[in-house]
Amino acid sequence: MSRAKALPASRTARVLEAFHEESALGKAYDWQLLRRLWPYVRPYRSMIYLSLGMGVLTAASSLLQPLFMRYLLDEGALAGNLSRLGTGAFYLAILILIERVLSFFQVYSVQLAGAKAMADLRRTLFQFLHELPLGFFDRTPVGRLVSRITNDTDAILELFASGALNAFSDLLRLLGIVIFMLALDWRLALIAFLAGPPVTLMVQAVRPRARAAFREIRGKTSRMNANMAEQVNGMTTVQAFGQQRAAAAEFDDINTGYRDAIVRSIKYEAVQDAAIDMVASLCLAFMVIAIGYHSASYGTLVAFNAYVLRFFEPIAALAQRYTLLQSAMAGAERVFGLLDTEERDALAEVPAPDGDPALCVSFENVSFGYKPNVPVLSDVSFGVRRGEKVAIVGATGAGKTTVASLLLRLYPVNTGVVRIFGKDVRGFERRELRRHFAMVPQDVQLFPGTIATNIAASETPDLVRVDAALRRIGAEDLFRSRPGGLQAVVDERGENFSAGERQLIAFARALYRDAQIIVLDEATASIDSNTEARMQHAMEELLEGRTALIIAHRLSTIQAADRILSFHQGRLVESGSHAELLAKGGLYAKLHGLHFGAAAESA
Amino acid sequence: MVLLAVYNYCQYWIDLLLADAMSGLLHGQLSTSRLLGLGMAVAGTLAFVTRVLSRLTIFNAGRYAEYELRTALLHHLHRLGPSFYRRMSTGDIMSRVTNDLQQVRGLLGFGVLNLFNTSFGLVSALAVMLKFSVPLTLASLAPLPLLLLVMRYYSKRLYLRQRENQDCLGALGGVVQSSIAGVRVVRAFALEESELHSFERSNQSYLDKGLVLAKLRGSMWPVMQAITMIGVLVVFWYGGRLIVQGQFKAEQFLSFYRALFRLTWPLAALGFLVSVVQRGRAGYARLRDIFDAQPDVVGGVQLPEVIRGHLEVRHLTFAYGAEPVLRDVSLEVQPGERVAIVGRTGAGKSTLGALLSRLHTTPPGSVFLDGVDVCELPLATLRASVLYNQQLPFLFSTTVGRNIAYSLEHPETDAGERAIAHAAREAQIKDEIDALPEGFDTVVGERGVQLSGGQKQRVALARALLAQPKVLVLDDPLSAVDARTETALLDALDRERDGRSLLLITHRVSAAARCDRVIVLDHGRVVETGRHEQLARAGGTYSRFVEEQRRERELAKLDEFTAPPAPLREAVEAE
Repeated sequence: MSRAKALPASRTARVLEAFHEESALGKAYDWQLLRRLWPYVRPYRSMIYLSLGMGVLTAASSLLQPLFMRYLLDEGALAGNLSRLGTGAFYLAILILIERVLSFFQVYSVQLAGAKAMADLRRTLFQFLHELPLGFFDRTPVGRLVSRITNDTDAILELFASGALNAFSDLLRLLGIVIFMLALDWRLALIAFLAGPPVTLMVQAVRPRARAAFREIRGKTSRMNANMAEQVNGMTTVQAFGQQRAAAAEFDDINTGYRDAIVRSIKYEAVQDAAIDMVASLCLAFMVIAIGYHSASYGTLVAFNAYVLRFFEPIAALAQRYTLLQSAMAGAERVFGLLDTEERDALAEVPAPDGDPALCVSFENVSFGYKPNVPVLSDVSFGVRRGEKVAIVGATGAGKTTVASLLLRLYPVNTGVVRIFGKDVRGFERRELRRHFAMVPQDVQLFPGTIATNIAASETPDLVRVDAALRRIGAEDLFRSRPGGLQAVVDERGENFSAGERQLIAFARALYRDAQIIVLDEATASIDSNTEARMQHAMEELLEGRTALIIAHRLSTIQAADRILSFHQGRLVESGSHAELLAKGGLYAKLHGLHFGAAAESA
Repeated sequence: MVLLAVYNYCQYWIDLLLADAMSGLLHGQLSTSRLLGLGMAVAGTLAFVTRVLSRLTIFNAGRYAEYELRTALLHHLHRLGPSFYRRMSTGDIMSRVTNDLQQVRGLLGFGVLNLFNTSFGLVSALAVMLKFSVPLTLASLAPLPLLLLVMRYYSKRLYLRQRENQDCLGALGGVVQSSIAGVRVVRAFALEESELHSFERSNQSYLDKGLVLAKLRGSMWPVMQAITMIGVLVVFWYGGRLIVQGQFKAEQFLSFYRALFRLTWPLAALGFLVSVVQRGRAGYARLRDIFDAQPDVVGGVQLPEVIRGHLEVRHLTFAYGAEPVLRDVSLEVQPGERVAIVGRTGAGKSTLGALLSRLHTTPPGSVFLDGVDVCELPLATLRASVLYNQQLPFLFSTTVGRNIAYSLEHPETDAGERAIAHAAREAQIKDEIDALPEGFDTVVGERGVQLSGGQKQRVALARALLAQPKVLVLDDPLSAVDARTETALLDALDRERDGRSLLLITHRVSAAARCDRVIVLDHGRVVETGRHEQLARAGGTYSRFVEEQRRERELAKLDEFTAPPAPLREAVEAE
């Protein structure tokens, strides 16, 4: 844990700073980014135009109101003309109504466009992620990708929600107010404007600091909550190591920073709000003084008062808006940064010439490493005939799982060719390629949904087939007896299912898929003998009549295979049936001997 | 409060001055109005100062209170024991610490400010208005109750919709998370389509919720402003009529208008205030649930002279509920001795381990460290001496290096870094850490790079080794490592002995075999004690374990055969 207080510029502090990049902000306006955002907004551009149009209309109706107030007073009340008073009030009411109704549509339509555009952007991002190669996910934290899709798009949405796009109509409004005031009485207007510069200066002086404070608050809030959540989660660890004091000090750093940033922002906000409040009073005071020298109508004064109030409304929102803009741009930058990732999963490449079509699966001089200079597979060649069941054995790290990954082209080979049905896997469209396989992974991943949707791996499962698959592997009763049966809900990450149950679901999933080639990564976890028997049966049913590559861990599985491929440090060292390999007296025989030796010793 | 009173008095003053000035203006006494204008400017400035100060004092007080409350909460959470954490989930605690605390702060800051501001504002504005015209005051205030109701409606709805929106975003994040975490399966099964479908559903519902919220937010201001404008309209039209009829002085018009404006917002805020107070009180009640929880493990005061690491358990019986998990357990560990505690899942092994350093509510008079009841020892002393390394390791969201160095004061010194590297090497994790993108500086934990279960276990083990406790209690530290690594780890534990007592909780016979003594737990009772060879031949529970684990060992022997260190990806898959 970082103890920033004790070591202000510690390396870890810097690493974490870089890691918590979310709090960083970008420029307020970055045309490059806005241009890239446009294609997502484009389909909803009519909404934006509508909003802009409404903006002009609301500005106009807002600007006209003081004029009617003046008319109402000067021509109506003071002149004693009741009918003019009535018409004035009537028009004023109409204008108010128009302004309010239109302003709703002005705000809402732009938000509608923004929200829809962001939903599209989220979909694009999600689809994009599923086109990236697996290697990308090996080095990128999941949380970061989740926040690209959720938090960052939300930040961009602020661009629309904060009314930053209303800046245009706000500007128009400010300009209109100045013109109307000058037109009404230019001398009085100039006097009223006198109060403007000092207040503007004050607001200007405060604004950058207010922005910095807002920015800090945003960053600190999330870190504070994350830190607290983590301490609560890891409370046993904190207590077991007796680190309460250090943990509290670390939290206090963030908590204090948060408080101070908030206090600063309160100060700036208060100054700004009050400044605007004051300028209204001062303007009025100046005008009163001015009228002492240069008379103007009473209604004009009332109208001026109304204009001055309207003038400062948009200015008040500026500082906060600016920060939101910055964070929107930072979000956009990160989102597009992700979309700029150029790697792609299983790109179509020029395939090698066809091989022997009788071989369901074949590896020809395949070498591969996840990282350069760290070979995982070296010069591996083998073939699997149709209907053959082949077990792959070897120690952890011998490259067994990698064989399966390369077969599905989850990673591209460095050299050599992987073929299925005699065709280079690089020649297949990735979905088409993977359709030929059903995979049973070691650690079964369940998805939120029901048992049925998990077995069918689809939102619309064919219940008859789901049932048939379960019955065939003899697990029907196990899941039927659950409350909800096949519609029983699967929690996030399938935590409400035991390892054995998950394994059985994976078998059923593979069976439902009805693919020609089964790739089975046997689980190492020990399970009770009852489940063990079920699994054995289920596996036999699944493999019946199919070609299978089994990454085997259990002796019973290994012995049942037609052929055994023995891997050692990324090389295929032996191949043959159990009996053949034993007779050969090589690595496999040695391992097997060790096993029997161990059994004899402990008996 | 005084500041608020002064602020509102200033506003009252301005209004009266304005009325006088206007009367001067209308009646041609221009010189007085000049003077009055000057007075207004002064009053305006004073109002500015008081307004800023009043906001600062009240809001800051709210924020400081929030800070103190949060610090106190964490402090209390640190002291609370396992019975509390079993009762309240992390999600629940966090929701209280974030949402409820925010509600309380709203009550303290916004609530208090507005309560006073509204009452003073009401007095000051009403004083002006009533002074000028009673009927006009009543007429112009007529729409305000409506405003109050509307505000309450919006305030309630906004709060609910915002929460809904947040939940929806959380659900969306969950879908993305599980889809990316399971990306290998998605790829292998070509599930991209169906994943996209389920994503689309969450995406759409988040969009819908967002739009509902936008509609609510978007309509709030126009509706409220429209209502206030009714009041303005009344002032202009009815006020105008009254002027014509001579019942209301024209010069007072502008002051009246200003006073009405001043009154409107505090009153509108009152609508908010009701819900703010309600939520603040509810939030406070929920925080009280945490504060009222009594720490169930409190340290003693007896300071031992030197801790040698002699541990004794005497007739320990312990239950979480009605059914005892441990029944009359007695055992002894000599300084420097290595003892294995073996038993099936649910035999009470982990409970026993946690009780040793009082991570559960250890009954007094049952566990003794060097002859002293652990309940008599200060918690800090006890936990520095007896370290329980839990089965499911928890890593913090910081670098791997810092996780290992958790107990170090100064991790970024040469000595510190050497110690970290050494501990990592001994825990058989150094090569894998070096293979991480940033080596020891890689951020791990919830949001960082995901380590496999076995890797987490070994990082936690390195952390425990580095802490150098007198008694090290390792709860199944080998469950997710292969046999070869297990052997290397046990070798390392031998090297790191250094007079340290070791309690190894395990279900693996192979690990137990290397300890000086084996204690077998079954259904909370000690059923066998002795050396491995002895017990293996005794034909009891332990012998059965040996038999049962033969199959596993077959494989273990297979894997033990000169395997190279596993690359990162392989290890991740093994999880």
